[in-house]
Amino acid sequence: MNRLGVRGASQWSVAWRRFRRNKSGIIGGAIVLFFITIAIIGPSIAPYPPRSYAPLYQGDAGQPPSLKHPFGVEESGIDVYSEVLDGARNDLYVGLAASLLTTLIGVAIGALAGYFEGAVSEVLLGLTQIFFVFPALLLILLFARVFSVLVFKGLGLTLIVLILSFFGWSGVSLIIRGETLRVKEMEFVQAARSLGAGSMRILFRHIVPNILSPVIVIATLGIAGFILTEVAVSFLGFGDANTPTWGLLLNEGFPFIRTDWWVSLFPGLAVVVCVLGFNLMGDGLSDALNPRLRE
Amino acid sequence: MADRLLEVSNLRTYFYTEAGVVKAVDGISLDVSTSETVGLVGESGSGKSVTAQSILRIVPPPGRIVDGSIKFQGEDLLQKSEGEMRRFRGPKIAIVFQDPTSSLNPVHTVEKQLTDIITLHQHVSRTDATKKAQLLLERVGISEPEKRLKAYPHELSGGMKQRIAIARALSCEPSLLLADEPTTSLDVTIQAQVLEMLKQLQVEFEMSMVMITHDMGIVADLTERVTVAYAGKVMEAASTRDVFTNPKHPYTEALLKAVPSIKRTRTLEIIPGNIPNLIEPPSGCVFHPRCKYAKGICSREIPALEKVEDGHYVACHLWRELNLEGRAN
Repeated sequence: MNRLGVRGASQWSVAWRRFRRNKSGIIGGAIVLFFITIAIIGPSIAPYPPRSYAPLYQGDAGQPPSLKHPFGVEESGIDVYSEVLDGARNDLYVGLAASLLTTLIGVAIGALAGYFEGAVSEVLLGLTQIFFVFPALLLILLFARVFSVLVFKGLGLTLIVLILSFFGWSGVSLIIRGETLRVKEMEFVQAARSLGAGSMRILFRHIVPNILSPVIVIATLGIAGFILTEVAVSFLGFGDANTPTWGLLLNEGFPFIRTDWWVSLFPGLAVVVCVLGFNLMGDGLSDALNPRLRE
Repeated sequence: MADRLLEVSNLRTYFYTEAGVVKAVDGISLDVSTSETVGLVGESGSGKSVTAQSILRIVPPPGRIVDGSIKFQGEDLLQKSEGEMRRFRGPKIAIVFQDPTSSLNPVHTVEKQLTDIITLHQHVSRTDATKKAQLLLERVGISEPEKRLKAYPHELSGGMKQRIAIARALSCEPSLLLADEPTTSLDVTIQAQVLEMLKQLQVEFEMSMVMITHDMGIVADLTERVTVAYAGKVMEAASTRDVFTNPKHPYTEALLKAVPSIKRTRTLEIIPGNIPNLIEPPSGCVFHPRCKYAKGICSREIPALEKVEDGHYVACHLWRELNLEGRAN
């Protein structure tokens, strides 16, 4: 490696070099970029506004894919193409926000549980394990229903994000705790302590930056996971019926799956390709950031 | 003595492991005066590093300081709270570890590692801290310091990393530097350079130094007084000259004989056996199983640290009757 001192390779540029050589990772990254682009520009290029029944009045209800309606029309008159484009923004929002939130909670709780000894660690670890063994999907459905019926009229996407995050941080936390336990034994931690650094400074300036690699991988794979969970919640009819998501389209297409296959096929494809993209990218990042494989 | 900077007396640091209580440090005493370099010598496992960690109160669990006192500038460090201790670590007492590859944080640049400590203890701006970091790098003999500041540890050689670790330890101008085998992980040629530099820095910074090592050559070169430790106990403490020319403890003699000589006037002797199990240390004198002079009393009674003359102490039952061989140089 560069010993001559010229501004050399930080671990991130080394990782980027490795990532670039990884074909499936690059394909995943391209898919992700594509969906992010759609999420940004989708609603402005969609022919119809969200949840619009306009095609019904044009006599296009239940039409198969055509030039006018590339992904076909639902029996209710909703244009599937517009809804899939809108769904990209909504599903990505849920995936990114829930993954970000669970990563933050998981890193904070996992790092504290790993760094401290005694009561703090026991309580946090116990809490994490309780959340880990919850039947998460069932509780998510229950909370979604309770909130949408009893507390609020309808269920916004942000509420879905909060519910998903509330039940989704424990896996991250357990991994981060393990990583913290490993890193805190390293000598630079003792060196920081020997120079007067306090616990929080050691934990968040010295330990956590050293476990960012697994955090990034977990967060990326988490996005895919939360998109799938949101799809499941909406498909089962527990989501927000006023906001187009891919899961909602699958839910609406299911009764007509024998005749109007296009209502299920296109959002289904979108889910598969998008989740595949995040997973490929996550695996690519995992290989690129894994110190054991570094040359 | 007038300027007693550090006074460790009868320190006991035990590790409460599942296998039992490991008495890593079992009654070590050590004192350091202002601007003095004191050696702490012993084999691996003799409790040298744990003594240094105890002075800073950074013994990792399950280790605990169970007895003794550590007085620094007249204040008892063992009575301090963790928060108060933090103000001693860095500005008053600093430590350099053996392996710079693991003691520097791999994800931070040299600049960040240095300025982090400077801004932690001193009210200076980031730019002033960076300037100070650059000056420190110059003082530890690093060329092109402004470029090196931007480097990550893995881009630097071992010798350079140790210089940076030393710069970091000196960044808050401590009055006492604990050097825990600072050259053990370096090439021999780099070792000499780093030792020479430490010698100069000690004078420049007007600080005291505890040189922890197993290398009698380093002891001869740098220290004025030496404490020889074995299995967590003090075997002998004396001026460096006395330790070399007039050793009173068989272990000291054995250590001296284990140093190769250029003149080859004698064969290199090794010390038979290993350092004892510190969970159940040998009865009596801890060194007796490996001591070639051992007698019956050695396995029965623990020897007290006796005064040979002013400044020369030894813990051996037989020191009066033995005529040990030193080294003349």
